[in-house]
Amino acid sequence: MDLSQIKQETLVVASTYKPEPRFLLAVLQDIQRKYKYLPKQSLEVVSEYLDVPLTKVYGVVTFYKAFSLTPKGENIIKVCDGTACHIKGSMNLITEIKAVLGIDPGQTTADGKFSLEIVNCIGSCALAPVMMINESYYGKLTPAKLRAVLESYREGGMVDAK
Amino acid sequence: MEIIIDGKKVEAQYGETILEAAKRNDVYIPTLCHSEALPGLATCRLCMVEIVENGVTKRVASCSYPIQSEIEVVTDNEKLRRIRKTLLKLYYTMAPNSEMIRKLMEQQDVREFNRCKVDTENKCTLCGLCVKACETMGTNAIYTVFRGAAKKVGTPFDEPSEPCIGCGACASVCPTNAIEYLEENGTRAIWGKTFKMVQCKACGKYFATEEEIAYLYQKLGDDIDIKKCETCRKKANANRFIAAIKAEGF
Repeated sequence: MDLSQIKQETLVVASTYKPEPRFLLAVLQDIQRKYKYLPKQSLEVVSEYLDVPLTKVYGVVTFYKAFSLTPKGENIIKVCDGTACHIKGSMNLITEIKAVLGIDPGQTTADGKFSLEIVNCIGSCALAPVMMINESYYGKLTPAKLRAVLESYREGGMVDAK
Repeated sequence: MEIIIDGKKVEAQYGETILEAAKRNDVYIPTLCHSEALPGLATCRLCMVEIVENGVTKRVASCSYPIQSEIEVVTDNEKLRRIRKTLLKLYYTMAPNSEMIRKLMEQQDVREFNRCKVDTENKCTLCGLCVKACETMGTNAIYTVFRGAAKKVGTPFDEPSEPCIGCGACASVCPTNAIEYLEENGTRAIWGKTFKMVQCKACGKYFATEEEIAYLYQKLGDDIDIKKCETCRKKANANRFIAAIKAEGF
């Protein structure tokens, strides 16, 4: 994707909000949803459109874990490592994911299908150990169940069950 | 209005901070992140004092707490000393080689603290005074980036910041001298950028960057005198003053 296209698309997304600094987070979230990360050019466009200095935009982006400055895979796996999940063996899930996909937390598979993240708590402790893929939750996971879920996404046919 | 600081009655203005009133009355309150040019940052918390207001005792940051009633202030007691000591121990683990921290530790009777791993390279306590200075200049070249243990002061993408004019306000306000810059051969290198400096028309000292002078002209118009360094400007004004009173026959 060339730079001017990113800039143009970003402006379209940003323009759904009034050009006021208070919409910074909302605009960034929309762009993150669109590209699965925040391209540098987008930040420049947002900075100019909302009249927020680029350094502040960058400060906000690096503050929140929900934002990423590097491209992410098509499917983002978030493994919960909150207290309940940790005790229920969330680290076994990480090991299993590494065995299946060959990636560590923070990495993306070579085919660009999956990214893996560890998050602190996703508020579904009753389902521990739990993970999210994109917007869907998968609870009470075992390595075998996890394998099946990943397989279904790998085939590419899996539609997010809301 | 009248307030009481450490048992002594002193005059205070409505709305001024406790720290201001204390300073004027020669009462010392330790500070780290306080700058007279950029007051009220209130991040270091070393200036904590205890006050009694409307019968309620509480501890507040004296650099930002405005005097609005006839309060009673205590600047030093067991509890406050303990708070300051704890803070300084934490600052020491962040920036053990900072002269300012060491001076404050000595003054507040804090011994070296070995329970935490210290970062010997770091001098920054993340008070944010540099960011405030940059913001006040209107340049917005630096900001606090990342979060938690990784938090630091930096430029976007760790690249040279486009709006930076190399004025060095950040480095000059830094209480722990954590911001590095290098001046040599008429240049100043700071935040990954190198600026050409301008010489004072009177003494020849390099005193500001070209970008800084251009920025000041752009903001203030052509009628400001920034051809000379600060010392020479003061000298020139003093000479004019002496000439003027001599002419009046003193």
